[in-house]
Amino acid sequence: MTTVAKLRDFVLNELHWDESRGAITPDFPLIENHVVDSMGLLMLVSFVEEQFGIALADEELVPNNFGTITSIAKLIEQKKSEG
Amino acid sequence: MRAFLLPHLLTGAAERFPDRIAVRDELGALRYAELERQSNRLAYTLRESGVLRGDRVGLFLNKSLDAIVGIYGILKAGAAYVPLDPFAPAARLAYILRDCGVRCLVTQREKGREVTQLVVSGAPVETLVVSNAAAREVAEPLEGIRYVGTETLDAAPEHWPGAPGIDQDLAYILYTSGSTGQPKGVMLSHLNALAFVEWCHSYFRPTPEDVFSNHAPLHFDLTILDIYTAAMAGAALAIVPPDVSVFPVQLARWIEERRITIWYSVPSILAMLALRGNLAVGRLPSLRHVIFAGEVFPTKHLRALMTLLPRAQFTNLYGPTETNVCTYYRVPVLPENQTESIPIGLPIDNVEVVVTGDDGRPAAEGETGELYVRGNTVAHGYWGDAERTARSFLLNAFTPARDRMYRTGDLVRRREDGHLIFIGRRDHQIKSRGYRIELGDIEAALAAHPGVAECVVVAIPDEVIGSRLKAFVVTNEVVKEGDLARFCADRLPKYMVPESFEFVSALPKTPTGKTDRKALVTSSVPVPDHT
Repeated sequence: MTTVAKLRDFVLNELHWDESRGAITPDFPLIENHVVDSMGLLMLVSFVEEQFGIALADEELVPNNFGTITSIAKLIEQKKSEG
Repeated sequence: MRAFLLPHLLTGAAERFPDRIAVRDELGALRYAELERQSNRLAYTLRESGVLRGDRVGLFLNKSLDAIVGIYGILKAGAAYVPLDPFAPAARLAYILRDCGVRCLVTQREKGREVTQLVVSGAPVETLVVSNAAAREVAEPLEGIRYVGTETLDAAPEHWPGAPGIDQDLAYILYTSGSTGQPKGVMLSHLNALAFVEWCHSYFRPTPEDVFSNHAPLHFDLTILDIYTAAMAGAALAIVPPDVSVFPVQLARWIEERRITIWYSVPSILAMLALRGNLAVGRLPSLRHVIFAGEVFPTKHLRALMTLLPRAQFTNLYGPTETNVCTYYRVPVLPENQTESIPIGLPIDNVEVVVTGDDGRPAAEGETGELYVRGNTVAHGYWGDAERTARSFLLNAFTPARDRMYRTGDLVRRREDGHLIFIGRRDHQIKSRGYRIELGDIEAALAAHPGVAECVVVAIPDEVIGSRLKAFVVTNEVVKEGDLARFCADRLPKYMVPESFEFVSALPKTPTGKTDRKALVTSSVPVPDHT
């Protein structure tokens, strides 16, 4: 499964997003649409850290990195290449 | 003149501090004189639209300057406001609007699509006051609904004709989770709110220099403290942008930039700030009060935050919506080895709490009992539900006064020094992220799914958010977890949708035939790793 597909799965199954309120495309804004709230962010961060074996710094938890599935995937790739 | 209605606080501040900032969001700010004028215009407009004293007016907008204008405008018209969760499913909101007979809604242009859903779902709305657009600008207006917009608001008189009622009149109705599958409306008067706000003012001693955060959603009673105590002091209210509070580092920066001096929220958001805010000692120098309520603050995270913010005074407030707030606890420096939770503390001024044993008599010191509350902060009851009101708001049997006491359902014990310790609940109400949730409310929604034969929802303790919801389901046909989650999401606010579903062939029972919730919780708590 690709990173994008894994993230999409997480959003649908763990954050329980109902796609009748908006389809989770890679560029669907997650924060503005309240797909990810403050607790959702913590869940998402733990998922990303465990699933992809990376550690995220507090400073990296910002809208630029978590605004869309594309941006999260990009962050993951970047961290993996650094790691 | 003495402030006996909530809008008197605004009018008083507008007289004393017309040019000070009353409220600020990310798009702009309103000075006290402007907030006073705008809310007066709205009050006139509501009156002209047929709103009468005692009517309920819905508040359906995103948190914004308009929302604050809306609150005061509705109160000045003599009506009670009913704040709606902008993100709750339309069916649940339509139920609320039918339940308390809301015919007029204050809303904003951006909410057009959702308003349509409300009306389609059976909300009895006849008039829509759109705070930020002219009536003719409304896209796809609904048939049979009257639209009133800025063309009317801007032309309305800008002075307040004066008190439309007395302090026993309802000021707002807050809907909370009900055990039978529908939310229940807690009726609060101006006096109920003012009794609490006056205590806040004398205890926290805010000045016009202070800046209060406004973090909780408007349908949550935490906002009573920041909105009205700020007005009483002539201080500023800063609305926390929802997207900012998702990211702890951003939130810390926002608190710093906005020079917030008094922060008030549920503990979970503060725990996140401690965990992921990248705070260092000395950051947020303006912050002098950190106030939290809604659930237990895990001691470990509270101590961590207090260490990072050594100059701030930390206060724990406790009280169900039905009592506003009834006790407070000023948190001392927490010893490194303390693991137990902090107390809920002592009653606020002019509020009495009684710990009652099983025999109905006051419990002895150290004995666990149920908490009863009496005083001016205690609500008038549940809208349209005399039976439930009679069950929870009881005639006071402890003194000859024969006033009403609220039976909280919370179990507490009194410590030697008088401080109350919260023990737990008598029933199946739980707290998650500060929200109060009746597990029966979720079970009723889930049981309505045709594939569900039997179900039970339990709360699994969680260090950060209080508890996580898990459903155990016996099905009579093949059902997918995702289907059940979506089914719940259509009927319940997001914070009430179970995070996980487990399919079982039968629910465990206790010897008396009840569902064994304890066994289900125990089986779901992860076993500590001893390696």
